[in-house]
Amino acid sequence: MPAIPRSARPATTVAGLLAAALLLAGCAGSGGNGEPSAAGDPASGGTLVYASGDAEPTCLDPHVGGNYPQALLAGQYLETLYTKDDDGRIIPWLASGAEASADGKTWTLKLRDGITFTDGTAFDAATVKANIEHLQDPDTASSTGYLAVAKIKTMDVVDDTTLKLNLSAPDSALLESFSMPWVAMESAKALARSQAENCASPVGTGPFTVKKWTKQDSVELVRNEDYTPPVKGAGHDGPAYLEGITWKFIPEAATRYAALQSGTVDIIDNAQPDTIKSAEGSDNIGHLDAPRPGASNRIELNSSKAPFDDEKVREAFVRAVNVDDGISSLFFDTAKRSYSALSSVEPMGYSDPSLFGRDLQEANRLLDAAGWDQRDAAGYRTKDGKRLTLSFPVSTNQSVPAEQSLFQQLQATAKEAGFEVKLHLLDLSSWYGVLGENDYDLVSAPYTKVGPDVLRTLFHTSNTVPAPSGYFSNHAQVKDKKLDALLESANATTDQQERKDKYTQAQQIVLGGYYILPLYDQQNHFLYGPKVQGVGATTAVASPTFHDTWLQD
Amino acid sequence: MADTALLGSSGGGFPRPGGTAVVPRAGRWRGAGFWLVRRIGSAVFVLWAVATLIFLAIRLIPGDPAEAIMGGPGSQASAAALEAARAEYGLDEPLWVQYLSQLGRLATGDLGTSYALKVPVVQLLADQLPGTLGLAVGAWVLAWILALGLALWSGLGGRGAAVVGSALEIAAASVPHFWLGSVLVLLFSTAWGWLPPVSNGSAAGLVMPVVTLALPLAGFLGQVMRESMLTAMNSPFALSAHARGESESGVVLRHALRHAALPGVALSGWALGSLVSGAVVVESIFARPGLGRSLLQAVTLRDVPLVTGVALVSALAYVVVMAVSELAERAIDPRTRDR
Repeated sequence: MPAIPRSARPATTVAGLLAAALLLAGCAGSGGNGEPSAAGDPASGGTLVYASGDAEPTCLDPHVGGNYPQALLAGQYLETLYTKDDDGRIIPWLASGAEASADGKTWTLKLRDGITFTDGTAFDAATVKANIEHLQDPDTASSTGYLAVAKIKTMDVVDDTTLKLNLSAPDSALLESFSMPWVAMESAKALARSQAENCASPVGTGPFTVKKWTKQDSVELVRNEDYTPPVKGAGHDGPAYLEGITWKFIPEAATRYAALQSGTVDIIDNAQPDTIKSAEGSDNIGHLDAPRPGASNRIELNSSKAPFDDEKVREAFVRAVNVDDGISSLFFDTAKRSYSALSSVEPMGYSDPSLFGRDLQEANRLLDAAGWDQRDAAGYRTKDGKRLTLSFPVSTNQSVPAEQSLFQQLQATAKEAGFEVKLHLLDLSSWYGVLGENDYDLVSAPYTKVGPDVLRTLFHTSNTVPAPSGYFSNHAQVKDKKLDALLESANATTDQQERKDKYTQAQQIVLGGYYILPLYDQQNHFLYGPKVQGVGATTAVASPTFHDTWLQD
Repeated sequence: MADTALLGSSGGGFPRPGGTAVVPRAGRWRGAGFWLVRRIGSAVFVLWAVATLIFLAIRLIPGDPAEAIMGGPGSQASAAALEAARAEYGLDEPLWVQYLSQLGRLATGDLGTSYALKVPVVQLLADQLPGTLGLAVGAWVLAWILALGLALWSGLGGRGAAVVGSALEIAAASVPHFWLGSVLVLLFSTAWGWLPPVSNGSAAGLVMPVVTLALPLAGFLGQVMRESMLTAMNSPFALSAHARGESESGVVLRHALRHAALPGVALSGWALGSLVSGAVVVESIFARPGLGRSLLQAVTLRDVPLVTGVALVSALAYVVVMAVSELAERAIDPRTRDR
């Protein structure tokens, strides 16, 4: 079905609501996915029950660790310096603007005046400094946000609303980094408490505040009565319509959907293809499709060792497998095929479908040319008596059942060209263990980040070197000097056109070298019940926000 | 945690042949003292063995516990951050030092602090225990009622009842919790809307989780109980009771029922294992807070103190259940009282 386009912080109060109503109406018309009745005037009051299928965060402060489940929750009570507008452009939020010096190594960050945290402390330059220091402090144990501020060496508080950032090297991704919830702003007074305390009740400037966290059950959020959006016209003025949100954790997809159908909960995340399909046939369930930014979901081909150190073999694999039929039969067309390394919400994404057409004849020709020209009794290709075997570890925590089935279909179609694909379903720790030992040929790993700099994370040579934990992000193990230079210079220039050119060239190298097989955007589907109105606004990482949401009786 | 059932030194469930002499009063007290000492000794052994096995097992599986402190597997934490975490939690010490200091802490009742949640494990267990306990006790009681009911019915109801009862038991014993829970949700929530699909604090929210957990256990208990009851019904003492003029139902209620209950009681340790492992699944399906979900999360994150804590609580429960079931056996079966 045509998804409701994600809209970040609708542009004006009226326009925002109007847009939401139109989107819902449009959805009803074309997708048969109707809203029960035209939304009337927003009513204040009521508690929204949200059911999350993600793992319960171990800490509600997204500075600590830093994963998507934390971002989903934190978007309700924390705000960021920057965010994204409807067109995917980065716009100031708690900040009012930023300017880089000519050499790109000094940034002057201007902040909005008169914003207060829910503990009464003022938001000012010293607070931003304290937040960045908190992220950089090893004791905070940040594993995501600290990367975003890694290049900030020192900071000077010029006055209450001006902070100077001195960088070790130019970083054109800085403002995109500032839009991510893992770098959200918290009260400096609250940050000074013990980590256990701050994990249980982080303090921000957002439309809701954390009231109570009952582990394994729910997080109670209540309305911040003093809230108004810092950007004029981004949603309605004043506090949220909802009195509060009960954020529940329901790990089982079927139970989650049953809870939505029975009205026990109002909105669910991680909706699976089969339930989205079934909801389409229902008159009173709405659907929000909000693909995550950063990388597309793709299969990475490990180019560091045989057989994928040979580009011909990589192309042969990509040409041999049948992705499209798998997506349409297993995802019921809820996911759109991608031909890009980047998410479709990234404005600098580059796409080339011509590289990924299925062509079994070509695959066979390439494998013959690469010396894999014998077949054994089982029909698999061999070279020097060795079978053409590909090891494909799959993380059951990161791949939904439909995706695991898709991998099985790829396994079957790869066999036609003579590839033996061995799928290994592993739990998260074991999966990282296998990657750390370079014991894989194919792998699929999601990566959420705002902006095209994710390309540097995924394809720069330096990211083939494992972190102390064994983690590394360049799973395709691309080591290409020209690509490295492009990614570095794109990260150094603040000229948007030059940046786009460099990233386009970089993506051409990645796609043309058959290092990845793009599948679809990182899926992020939400379903909501008939009472819920005004859903659609999201943070920069496509997690929904509920300032404009209200419940109809 | 069904494997904890393998660790215990069972007191044994069946009467010793030839032990019929009446024990003098003083001797019986001494016997009770020995029994208690033996029980406490085996409890300490079981707890030590569990702590040791968990300590070793969690280090043999892939994954670094320090990453649990840093937000989970695949952490991108810097070397400095990982170092700081290791130092803070003593993970940089040699393994045997870590082991001894952990045993020392456990001996004083200190279960440590959860790596992932940064909260004392004792507090987490105290928060989650009541949920699982309520679920497990409810399921256990329901399983006994169903199993005894089935055994009685098939014992009294003649050949037809025996066949139907047996079929029902086999079916119940062989359904996986996961499948049963999902089917119940589909029927009672989605299709008919009678029961809430997730726990909401009400009694109605407890029905499906308890039934899901109880049915397979009831099937298994029912099988052993019915078999034992039928054996008793065909034994000479049943015949002599009949000869004395005892009615069929009198024989069943007064004699055969004791025999039926015995193997069920003897299997209590096993039943506990089934309830705890079932709780992991049931708590996830019905989104109930509890130890099972804690355990699942803790193992995924390699949260060593929390895994150890849940395992020790399960082991302790096992020890207690075994002791109580031994006492219950004595109460039901006079032949076992002189041991």
